[in-house]
Amino acid sequence: MAEWHRVAALSDLSLEAPLGVRIGDLQIAVVKLEDGVYAINDVCTHEYALLSEGFCEEGRIECPLHQACFDIRTGKALNEPAEVDVATYPVKVEDGAVFVQVP
Amino acid sequence: MARTVIIGAGQAGRRTAEALRDLDPEAEILLLGEEAHPPYDRPPLSKAVLLGKDPGNGLFVRAPDFYAGKRITLRTGTRVEALDLAAKQVVTAAGERIGYDSLVLATGARARPLPVPGADDPRVHTLRTLEDAQAIQAALLSKPRLAVIGGGLIGLEVASSARQLGCSVTVLEAADRLMARCVPPAISDMAAALHRGHGVALHLGRTVRRIEPRPDRLLLDAGDVQVEADLVVIGIGGIPNTALAEAAGLAVRDGILTDACGRTSHLDVYAAGEVARFDHPFFGRQVRLEAWQVAQNQPAAVARAICGQAQPYDEIPWHWTDQFTWNLQVFGTPDPELELIRRPAGEDRLTAIAVDAGGRARGAVLINNGREATPVRRLIGAGKALDLAALRDPAVPLRQFL
Repeated sequence: MAEWHRVAALSDLSLEAPLGVRIGDLQIAVVKLEDGVYAINDVCTHEYALLSEGFCEEGRIECPLHQACFDIRTGKALNEPAEVDVATYPVKVEDGAVFVQVP
Repeated sequence: MARTVIIGAGQAGRRTAEALRDLDPEAEILLLGEEAHPPYDRPPLSKAVLLGKDPGNGLFVRAPDFYAGKRITLRTGTRVEALDLAAKQVVTAAGERIGYDSLVLATGARARPLPVPGADDPRVHTLRTLEDAQAIQAALLSKPRLAVIGGGLIGLEVASSARQLGCSVTVLEAADRLMARCVPPAISDMAAALHRGHGVALHLGRTVRRIEPRPDRLLLDAGDVQVEADLVVIGIGGIPNTALAEAAGLAVRDGILTDACGRTSHLDVYAAGEVARFDHPFFGRQVRLEAWQVAQNQPAAVARAICGQAQPYDEIPWHWTDQFTWNLQVFGTPDPELELIRRPAGEDRLTAIAVDAGGRARGAVLINNGREATPVRRLIGAGKALDLAALRDPAVPLRQFL
């Protein structure tokens, strides 16, 4: 059953500065954008690398190894070498805390 | 319907076919490959494949039915013997003549052999193809003593993989530093420390003169250094496969010469990927680049030229290597004569920017710091004089210079 997990305080997040978190075996990148906080799978779908280590700008996150870009809001793979989208997860903010829901 | 024949079904051949299909839904595309496999990318060969790890879709980037789905006719195991430019035909080893309207040579490169006695022993390998990698991987399983000849990217990646598998590893490099063709001396020194720290025996400034094969071992003679090994891998660069082009009378000089759009000296004939020596606006001269980036993106310029939409390939050069704990990325031309400004970013993390006498960034090296890839690429691309005092302060973020 899908559960909500507290991953950070909202005050820990700054704009477009991804935070890598772990929920069980899942590695998740939590990113604050202008219109809210988003969570995507942190592992690049091309080769193993953490997207939270990458450059982030205008709602896109760039893999630090091979520069594949993903849309943070939709998880969509935007350019090669990545072909496969990353998973996205629901996020809610309550009482200054950020929660991510994972399956 | 115009037919394009692409010789060479590696990454550059695949990318030419894909880019052409994107531009022209009608084009007939024939992709001829000598290897038995559909196109694959080579970066995983010296890393994931040697380590026996699943390279995922980093190796065969496309599913087997991709080519048919894109109406790209892929013929593997097909060797082209000759070009008949006057008749606009290619001639296969089987004697078949295939006509073309546009011809793309994406014949790649081969491993440079080491011209010394004993290099033909079966325990001496080079690494270029999937079969080469599989043969080395199989040989590494018995944890041999490995000697690597060549301290460039391939040699050091092989050394790193073999050490991780528990082999004892010696690297012999003829130059006085590692990766001398692509990083500045300060980074070479750090790489040497990295490899030594992981137990690699490094011999710099040593040229192997002969390999003496014994039944139970190989003896490498490098003058004052003698190395005993069970397995040798040679990684001393590549030689472009230009024989077809030369025989057909195309202009060739360590690569098939092309303009910035991949057009050779002959009408309707193009060269793509690492076999091409092309005018590159960033360098302001002709270069031949053996890099994933070039195989990936220069073919798009070729496809545009074929479709009459010529536009130069002008990306800022970039390549990467993964060795032990390092992901090393190199941008632009961080030449040794430039000043290297080091911006440490924590344990085992560094951005180093090479600036010219005018204070302009010309190149950069990132160690485990890929988050600065886009900022350094933009700095180099902007080509403007930077406040070097500020740049020397790692606390000043790079975005402040953009």
